[in-house]
Amino acid sequence: MRSKRLSAGLLSVAAALSLVATTAMAAPKTVTLWHVFNLDTDMIYGGIEAFNKAQDEYRIEARVVPATSMVTELIKATATGSVPDLATLDNPVVASFSGQGTLTDLSPLVAKSEIVKPGLYFEGPWASAQWQGKTFGVPRDANTLALYYNADMFRAKGLDPDKPPRTWSELRAAAEKLRDPAKNVYGFGFSAIQAEEGVFQFLPFLTQAGGSIDKLDQPEATAALDFLVDMMKAGIISKDVINQRQYEVANTFMAGNTAIAFGGPWELPRMEKEAKFDWRLTLLPVKDDKNIAASALGGYVFVVPKGAKQPEGAFKFIEFMSDPKILNEGWKTGRLAPRTDVKVENPRWPQAYGIYREQMQSAKARGPHPQWPDISKALQTAIQEALTGAKPSAQALQDAAKKIQPILAKTPL
Amino acid sequence: MAKAQQPLLYVFLAIPVTYLVALIGFPVFYNLVMSVQDVNLGNISSMIRPFIGLDNYREVIADPSFRKVFINSILFVGVNVVAQIVIGLSVALFFSREFPGAGLLRGLLLAAWMLPALVVGALWKWIFATEYGLANAALTSLGLVDAGVHWLSDPRIALTSVTIANIWFGMPFSMILIAAALIAIPRELYEAAALDGAGAVARFRYITLPSLTATLLAVACLVTIYTMRAFDLIYAMTQGGPLDASNVLPLLSYQFSFQQFKFGIGSAIGTFSFVIVFVVALVYVRTLKKEAVS
Amino acid sequence: MSVRIATAPRVGWPYTLIAICGVALYLFPIYWMFTSGLKTSAEIFANPPTLIPQNPTLEAFAHVFARENVLRYLRNSIAIAAPVTILTLVMGAMGAYAMSRLRNRLVDVALVTVLMLQVFPEALLATPMFIIFRALDILNTFAAVILATTSKTLAFALVVLRPMFRQVPIELEEASRVDGCNSWQTFWRIVLPLMRTPLIVVGTLAFVQAYGQFVYALTLMSDQELQPATVGIYSFVGAEYADWHRVMAFSSVFVAPVIILFLIMQRKIVAGLTAGALK
Repeated sequence: MRSKRLSAGLLSVAAALSLVATTAMAAPKTVTLWHVFNLDTDMIYGGIEAFNKAQDEYRIEARVVPATSMVTELIKATATGSVPDLATLDNPVVASFSGQGTLTDLSPLVAKSEIVKPGLYFEGPWASAQWQGKTFGVPRDANTLALYYNADMFRAKGLDPDKPPRTWSELRAAAEKLRDPAKNVYGFGFSAIQAEEGVFQFLPFLTQAGGSIDKLDQPEATAALDFLVDMMKAGIISKDVINQRQYEVANTFMAGNTAIAFGGPWELPRMEKEAKFDWRLTLLPVKDDKNIAASALGGYVFVVPKGAKQPEGAFKFIEFMSDPKILNEGWKTGRLAPRTDVKVENPRWPQAYGIYREQMQSAKARGPHPQWPDISKALQTAIQEALTGAKPSAQALQDAAKKIQPILAKTPL
Repeated sequence: MAKAQQPLLYVFLAIPVTYLVALIGFPVFYNLVMSVQDVNLGNISSMIRPFIGLDNYREVIADPSFRKVFINSILFVGVNVVAQIVIGLSVALFFSREFPGAGLLRGLLLAAWMLPALVVGALWKWIFATEYGLANAALTSLGLVDAGVHWLSDPRIALTSVTIANIWFGMPFSMILIAAALIAIPRELYEAAALDGAGAVARFRYITLPSLTATLLAVACLVTIYTMRAFDLIYAMTQGGPLDASNVLPLLSYQFSFQQFKFGIGSAIGTFSFVIVFVVALVYVRTLKKEAVS
Repeated sequence: MSVRIATAPRVGWPYTLIAICGVALYLFPIYWMFTSGLKTSAEIFANPPTLIPQNPTLEAFAHVFARENVLRYLRNSIAIAAPVTILTLVMGAMGAYAMSRLRNRLVDVALVTVLMLQVFPEALLATPMFIIFRALDILNTFAAVILATTSKTLAFALVVLRPMFRQVPIELEEASRVDGCNSWQTFWRIVLPLMRTPLIVVGTLAFVQAYGQFVYALTLMSDQELQPATVGIYSFVGAEYADWHRVMAFSSVFVAPVIILFLIMQRKIVAGLTAGALK
């Protein structure tokens, strides 16, 4: 018995050795990665290089897919069965893939992992990659929204730039004061475009008002939308926000045409270079009578499509990229770490870093839900109907709720 | 027609048609099949999927945005065809007067058509921006409007704005094709007419227009197809918004397929474009028959 | 040729002036594109818009040249567009000639089929195309993109060239046959030379269409090294932000070679035109 065990042990050691030997001799296995990060300063480039150098079992072969085509390309790849081993997906869309069974369940690999430990992640980012108790992705980075404000304009209008608005009523009052039609300056800006981005920027208001996506027919939701509709009616918000993407809102801020704007940390590199005034950040305001701090959660998730040839290699790279040392680099391009154990020392834009990291605590994931795009579309329509005056907010939201409720009845959030 | 020539002609006809059928026949079939199936990401990789008859079509027709988008498409295509031909013909006629640099300047116009749709969309989005846009800057400085027009954010105007942008984008293409046909009209015809005392209008009416009919029809047909399937420009300008005011069928189809993951619906919408173009193609071929008789 | 110019209506320089103004106005968005490449992204969105860049910088152009392998991108674009042009012209001329000379139901069916196959946008066709090219084992090659793109340009060539071939007088062909030419020789020696101008125009337009190819290139070739310039341009538009000044700089570099090419071709077209007039 004992000798049997011993010989078995020896055998396995020998097997392991021969495995090492063959992997050492064999050419590295190629792991294909599709990602969307076009800034060459993004942490993924350093990560790929370091990973390929650090070991010779796997080699990452990366392909940059234009961000607007990533989902389309991954759908085509799924349809044809020629999938990459690893891809980065915007977090709200992950559930659409995982809910339909097109992603590899990473739970067994995560269970064994020394690095990717669920407890170390912020709740929002981690939740965005879960579906029915299984882990279908690992968050790569995280972001959330905060308020950018033009401190020079604050001073010019007699506002104290050290006391930015903290509540909805303060925000509205400040924005009203900052508005200057003669100089083409709007008080406040956010994106209300008929796209996921519009929903991303509206959700903080909804949560702050005490509402939620499954209760759009409640007065809380109406209060949130009315807050924005009223500001647009008063000329504090430009009507063009209906067709502005997030970066376009940021552009109007940088050009000095918007005094206070919603924006994410990804704007920081450009902001630093091009905003020729004293710009600062502050936390999103809270609704006066509710006092609920809230923001929406964005960010990318590493996923391994089903049918990937090298899921282990892909996961090795995920682990590599989840190392705090690499994640630390993310902030250089305005990417926050999705993990609580990563804290950037002496960060660039220290004030912004502090604000965004604090805001992360209240950043809520969208969904996760396989039909999030449908839910989102219903809300987009409601936002646009209310802002264009096609319907009163309450009516628009009730119509949206009627579309959303059957979806949630079938598959709850 | 000499019979001896016929075999070669059939070979000539067969080569490109076979090529096209071989290459696009399957893709078109693939989409038509999807339109009668329940397709989701989970089963998209196999062609065997639940058959659901015309359910996708029913759902498309029941979708409140579909009717609006259908009408938008007809307007978008119709106005584009008429405008590109009328403007294209006028510009081509203007350049057919042989002034110094005519050919060069005419060729330069084609630069507009060379740009990627993404770039054209971005440019027109800036031009039409209410605050920092050129269109409003120009109109207000000329005193034509007091307040900025919300070109892209007003649902009543958005379709007009994207149509203008698309006419700008496509007109040079139509114009060059018409110009090429104009060049081919034998000059002797005009000279003879001039000797007979025909004025400019009469010459246009009785020589230019009849000689161009076939080309104009061909261009109309092409513009219909191109505007019927193109959506990159609108996508870059408005993503179809606000409230689908500037949405068109191919974009709606794309949104259903690749943003909502409802592939069957996306393909069903594609079939509607198919039917529209089929009608146009039939009309086109019938007019050709008349041309052959006359 | 000199005779011809003498008899041409003398409209002269005033027309040139009007044309220059008109073309300049029409192409203003292109001026805007180019100058936006010289602006910072904040200035692009400045209100009121600045007609002349306030602080022109070559940063975006430098970036495009230094970091983006713009030459590789352009080379790939041309490597796709040139064969597409040739395939389109060869098959287009054959098919259009046949369609202009044959008069029966088959031609109608062929024409309607060709048109019908053009309806679906590339986005919907790319997936099944991928399946075809995988079966042929030519994914990740220019060949796949060239064949796919030709399916777009060929239909256009057939539709446009058909009426132009009809303008070639049938008597010429009959005369050549009397002279003992077979049908291929008639096509090659008599008909095609007369079609020079339309072929150049169609070739140019097919080239431009193929040069702007995006969806097929993206889907059928995963190899970064093979991607054409349009993919490079689109990759500046990120999920959260877009570097518009770089998009515009890249785009300016992207269209420049084609505009130059077109201006060269333009002279040829004029030459073809006068040659035709002399016959």
